[in-house]
Amino acid sequence: MSSISLSSDETPQELSRSRQDTSDPPSQWEQQAYDPRERAALVLGEHDFTTVTDSIADIALGKTPTMWYVAMSVSLSLLSLLVVTIGYLLLTGVGVWGNNNTVSWGFPIINFVFWVGIGHAGTLISAILFLLRQNWRTGINRFAEAMTIFAVCCAGIFPGLHVGRVWLAYWLLPYPNELAMWPQARSPLLWDVFAVGTYATVSLLFWYMGMVPDLATLRDRATKRWQQLLYGVLALGWNGSSRHWMRFEKAYLLLAALATPLVLSVHSVVSFDFATSQLPGWHTTIFPPYFVAGAVFGGFAMVLTLSIPCREWFGLKHLITHRHIENMAKVMLATGMIVSYAYSVEFFMAWYSQQPYEQFVFLNRPFGPYAWAFWTMVTCNVIAPQAIWFTAVRKNVWAIFIVAMFVNVGMWFERFVIVVTSLHRDFLPSSWAMFAPTWVDLGMFLGSFGLFFTLFLLFCRFLPMVAIAEVKTVMPQAHADDHPVKFDYQPSPDTPKELRRGHWFT
Amino acid sequence: MSDHKPEKKIKPPQSVGWMAEYTDENQLLDACRQVRDSGYTRTDAYSPFPVHGIEDALGIKPTGLPWFSLCAGATGTCVALLMQWWMNAVDYPYIISGKPYASWPAFIPVTFELTVLFAAFTTVFAMLGLNGLPKLSNPLFNNPKFDRSTDDRFFLWVDSNDKYFNSEKVKGLLESTSPVEVSEVKEDDSPTEIPRGIIWAIILLIMVSLIPAVIVLDMRNSRSRGSRIQVFFDMDYQPNHKVQGSTSWFADHRVQRPPVSGTVARGELYASDPYYLGYDPDATASNERESHFVSLQADDANSAGQVNDPNSAEAAAPELNYAWLTQIPGTVDGKMYDLGKKKFDINCSVCHGVVGNGEGLVSQRAMNLAEGYWLQPTNLAESRIVEQPVGRIYYTITHGKGKMGGYAASLTPQERWAVVLYVRALQRSQNAKSSDIPENVTLSSTAAQ
Repeated sequence: MSSISLSSDETPQELSRSRQDTSDPPSQWEQQAYDPRERAALVLGEHDFTTVTDSIADIALGKTPTMWYVAMSVSLSLLSLLVVTIGYLLLTGVGVWGNNNTVSWGFPIINFVFWVGIGHAGTLISAILFLLRQNWRTGINRFAEAMTIFAVCCAGIFPGLHVGRVWLAYWLLPYPNELAMWPQARSPLLWDVFAVGTYATVSLLFWYMGMVPDLATLRDRATKRWQQLLYGVLALGWNGSSRHWMRFEKAYLLLAALATPLVLSVHSVVSFDFATSQLPGWHTTIFPPYFVAGAVFGGFAMVLTLSIPCREWFGLKHLITHRHIENMAKVMLATGMIVSYAYSVEFFMAWYSQQPYEQFVFLNRPFGPYAWAFWTMVTCNVIAPQAIWFTAVRKNVWAIFIVAMFVNVGMWFERFVIVVTSLHRDFLPSSWAMFAPTWVDLGMFLGSFGLFFTLFLLFCRFLPMVAIAEVKTVMPQAHADDHPVKFDYQPSPDTPKELRRGHWFT
Repeated sequence: MSDHKPEKKIKPPQSVGWMAEYTDENQLLDACRQVRDSGYTRTDAYSPFPVHGIEDALGIKPTGLPWFSLCAGATGTCVALLMQWWMNAVDYPYIISGKPYASWPAFIPVTFELTVLFAAFTTVFAMLGLNGLPKLSNPLFNNPKFDRSTDDRFFLWVDSNDKYFNSEKVKGLLESTSPVEVSEVKEDDSPTEIPRGIIWAIILLIMVSLIPAVIVLDMRNSRSRGSRIQVFFDMDYQPNHKVQGSTSWFADHRVQRPPVSGTVARGELYASDPYYLGYDPDATASNERESHFVSLQADDANSAGQVNDPNSAEAAAPELNYAWLTQIPGTVDGKMYDLGKKKFDINCSVCHGVVGNGEGLVSQRAMNLAEGYWLQPTNLAESRIVEQPVGRIYYTITHGKGKMGGYAASLTPQERWAVVLYVRALQRSQNAKSSDIPENVTLSSTAAQ
């Protein structure tokens, strides 16, 4: 804390606006001894409000880095793969997938659950950590919320295509129709439509609403006419009025309170798709908490995957500090332990139930034809995160990055194991079958990454990547010690009574 | 609009208030308190981030926003419950997975989601609405320095509409709060008319967007001899053939497809196994087919028709020309005999009697009541049955005979063969000769036991 000087008296011209002192601050580990009793600084280096605004707004308003074009061209080529495979699917039919009568869920549902799961970290960071007063969330929440929305976009594609006749997908919605039929509200598949739809909508609202003040910052700093117009329209005329801020903060709190149970409900409902069936391996009461923990686990892995390179490339190391990365790694470890526990409980229940079908499934997973998928999952999800226990690993962000990559792979394989190994050996041995993805399956899976990264790169380039206003609230300048904010402020005694407005706490 | 235009140009922009600029939030808070204590109410502060305590310092009332969220959430709950009840219990009720039509526990997930959805939507839009946003024009924006209100500076504004507003006094008050600068806010005199090009573009866009609707309406109200436009075929046109036809789809040109190799049609799993049939189907097939059908028809006629004289009917029925098994398949041992006895006592003895003489308890009672429909069950020890091959007896147990139903559903093939063995044993016991008695057993010793 002491290393940060209060430089509010200086004019911005006197301050160095160059990136040189912002891009490479000393590592947090060198700057302060690792002491959990001490509160870590959330913004490193000699920064005030002006330089914080600069470092974020310049990314959106400045020149496009060359690497961005390289990354974008890779993403766009993957996206075109998605477009081509979807077009081929629509023209030909769902038979081009590897799905068969026995493994009827295959890649589309695996990818759906995988992407929806990734989408959980954003709302967890923006809602649950907000309610828990975890101020470190301000550095990463915008980022994670954007990731949530793009992941949910990717997720939405797959069940939409999996219904077979995509052009009739609107039948999922309850609307009066000439068939005189209504959707079936007792089915978890309809719950899923509402849960994912609500989640996407609320996440988008949360993200956009939180971004309005920052869009106003971009509007006020933009020099090009098209930027002023674009950000001006998006900022809705925000001017930082204290009345607006008060309602904004109240709305943010309410949304956080609404989104907290929502984020827990979404993957619970997704797990109901499995758990309310009678298939051994799916029919399990532990599925809702297990899925939610897995979703947070995979989501934090994806946030780490994105934020570690981004903070390097965009010079945001002073805002997304090593401590942020470490905290996320710890959340990943904690949720990874919950997931590992859930795996073991599944095996225990299979043994304890004395149910031959259940026992068969849970012997078939580690020793059956898809044993390689199961052991990949165990290696990536159970063994790999244990590295986070070691200080040496946490000291190195790229070591954390490698662990996060393992978890990304492992969480995809978890869904593969749940969907494919449960389905491919059902009650009737005559209908046993194997599943193998076709090139369309693989193309759509890779293509969904193209969509995700295309959206994410657009976001990084044109929108405020870090919540500028929120970061300023956690800077020491906003809480100067010599002049603490007093909620029980009393007016001077000679103030007339009718003017004593605003003392709602006294 | 156009007649106001010259007037506006002539009029100089009027003052709408005074604005002071500060470099840190503590100066702003102090200034706010002073302005508030001086009695001004039409004031506002502007900051790049929410400054805590400013509501008190400026005297801003708490917002009623949570009430909007609460009402919207409650509405969402009611709408969701009503919708699901209407959909699944009233307008389109059908039973699924044994749940009641109005299955309230199953309605909870959608209810929860809609509660959150309604509340979240309302929270955001009520926040914007209460804030008067979107508002793209604001006199404060005339001052280029105000751009820093979203960056690093803090502003305090006193509106000229305030009850106590006095330009000089307000200026003096603001200057006394150690601001960077105090400036007068002039009204926004930039043209408010939308440029004609944009208006025409909007009109054109509306016109163009109506074209599809007009085409659809026209098509719905006119007749056409053309076929309908199908974007997706939805399996409306599928290649198909009539039975017994020929086709070029398959190499053998047959429309009707033979069974997939290695598959067994339902009910035909044991169609060729003598163990399950009681006769050898291959050998039977080589027998005359005609007699097979005739005998079957006669068999049916017997059971349906002449009920009063079963014995004569049995006698009149031509025997099936099957290649019956003459030996019980598998190992014949004491275990099989015990199984046969058990199954015979359970399934057969009530009519045929425990020794198979046709004097079972049911039969005795029916004969005593002189029920007209009752036929005396066959005495299994009579020579006609004794002469039958074991396969024939097995066939009778499997398919029934006359009034007797088949026992294929109650007895497995193994059990049926066991019963056949037991029937053979009964026949031997009922037709026993003295030579059947082992030498070391005498009648007196058996009676003594």
